[in-house]
Amino acid sequence: MSHGSLPPSFRSLERFNAWALAKEGDRIRKRRASTMEELRELYDALMPQMEAIVAYLDQFSPAHLPEDAQRLLWLALSFVEVTSAVELYGQPEVRNGLDDPTRFRPVE
Amino acid sequence: MKTDMSDKRWAKVYPELGTGPVPAEPYISPEYFALERERVFRRVWLNMGRVEEIPQPGDYLVRDLAVCNASIVLIRGDDGVVRGFHNVCSHRGNKVVLDERGSCRGYLTCNFHSWAYDSQGQLKWVSDEENFFDLKKSELGLTPVATDVWEGFIFVNLDPQPRESLSTYLDGVTGQLAGAGFERLALAHVYRVDERANWKIALDAQNEVYHLPFQHRASFPDVFVLKDNRYTRLLDVRFFRRHSVYSCELNPSHTVTASEELVARLDTAATRCRLPLIGDFDFYAIFPNFVILLFRGAANDFFMTYNFWPLAVDRTVWEIKIYFPPAETAGQRIGQEYAKCRLRNVLQEDAAAHETIHAGLASRAKTHVLFQDNEIQIRHFHKVLADQVGVFQEG
Repeated sequence: MSHGSLPPSFRSLERFNAWALAKEGDRIRKRRASTMEELRELYDALMPQMEAIVAYLDQFSPAHLPEDAQRLLWLALSFVEVTSAVELYGQPEVRNGLDDPTRFRPVE
Repeated sequence: MKTDMSDKRWAKVYPELGTGPVPAEPYISPEYFALERERVFRRVWLNMGRVEEIPQPGDYLVRDLAVCNASIVLIRGDDGVVRGFHNVCSHRGNKVVLDERGSCRGYLTCNFHSWAYDSQGQLKWVSDEENFFDLKKSELGLTPVATDVWEGFIFVNLDPQPRESLSTYLDGVTGQLAGAGFERLALAHVYRVDERANWKIALDAQNEVYHLPFQHRASFPDVFVLKDNRYTRLLDVRFFRRHSVYSCELNPSHTVTASEELVARLDTAATRCRLPLIGDFDFYAIFPNFVILLFRGAANDFFMTYNFWPLAVDRTVWEIKIYFPPAETAGQRIGQEYAKCRLRNVLQEDAAAHETIHAGLASRAKTHVLFQDNEIQIRHFHKVLADQVGVFQEG
């Protein structure tokens, strides 16, 4: 699912294709498995593109996104996923969280 | 700002709740837990979920209640009514439904000998029936459990003869949230965490905001109004017999991160969903183990629920559900994801605290715990619990 292309106007973000993940659990795992440098790279690249991304996605009904637009949404959700790590924690996981953070699990 | 910042305000409003220390033993005592099983969880109304989880006739949902040693099947009958039954076959006691949810085509069938019950719990088929003795199928339906629905929330009461109706039990909560329209929002996310903590430690830790500037100093230090920019104050606290609600007002000058500012700007959805909030955040503790949390959003409100399910005196499953209005725009969808991630992170910090608190109390280093004025709703909960359990408690 993560290997397809993005809409033409967002091809510059295709280096982050591995972040275009449909499931929250996968986005959480990807965040935990990343270095802060990798999280900051995603954050820095997506932050200035988010308005354009939302404008692009809003051409479609949320329930009927074309495949490449769907991947773009997933990528935007990964941006959301990493914001707290970059802006608040300075580490991929919350501070003072569970010994094993995977115990707090989304039921999907 | 509407919040009164004065100290020791709520103790004056509710003097009957006292101000003294509260015993720690109920958090860690296996004997007390045994009493809670019998006198609380087997006697009061317990939330199981929402009606939207079983929308069609024949849809069912199974909840295993370890605290009551019971498995309950909730099923929407072909007449549209939601009923609850013990998930136990009338033949020899096997569990009838083995999966967590599903939809049956007319019958729930026991794996063991293929006895089949209809969507209203009536026994309809017995294999090799002629070889039984004096079998009266009409008297051998699934054992019903008192089941009722309030504002779309399904509750059961395991007492064979409940002492009061759900509506009487919920008291003033029904008026406060009458016509809230929860069905306009959809279940968007579910989390479960199996904690090494007593269920009351988990609930109590959520049932106050005093801890926010400290436990959540990195995540959520100043989201609500603060006295002298340091300490939380409640906008309101109300009690409805066994239940409570506390409310907070958002801090208009809270620290805003770059992403928060961006996401707020992206969410341009029209206002379609308002909930009957008292403040900007309302926390309803529905005795004993159910919580409804209402959140004011800039354009659209949303809500969450918690169910704290005891497995043992020192083990609890904390079940968290987030309900959002259906997103109409990408910006709204991203705003919901953002709210969810921020909340989820905070709750993971809380889960860690539940366990360290339990470990501390289990050491018996302290015989009592203390509650300040912002924690009066926890004091109320413990008084209600002590009354229900029937064991005298200071306070």
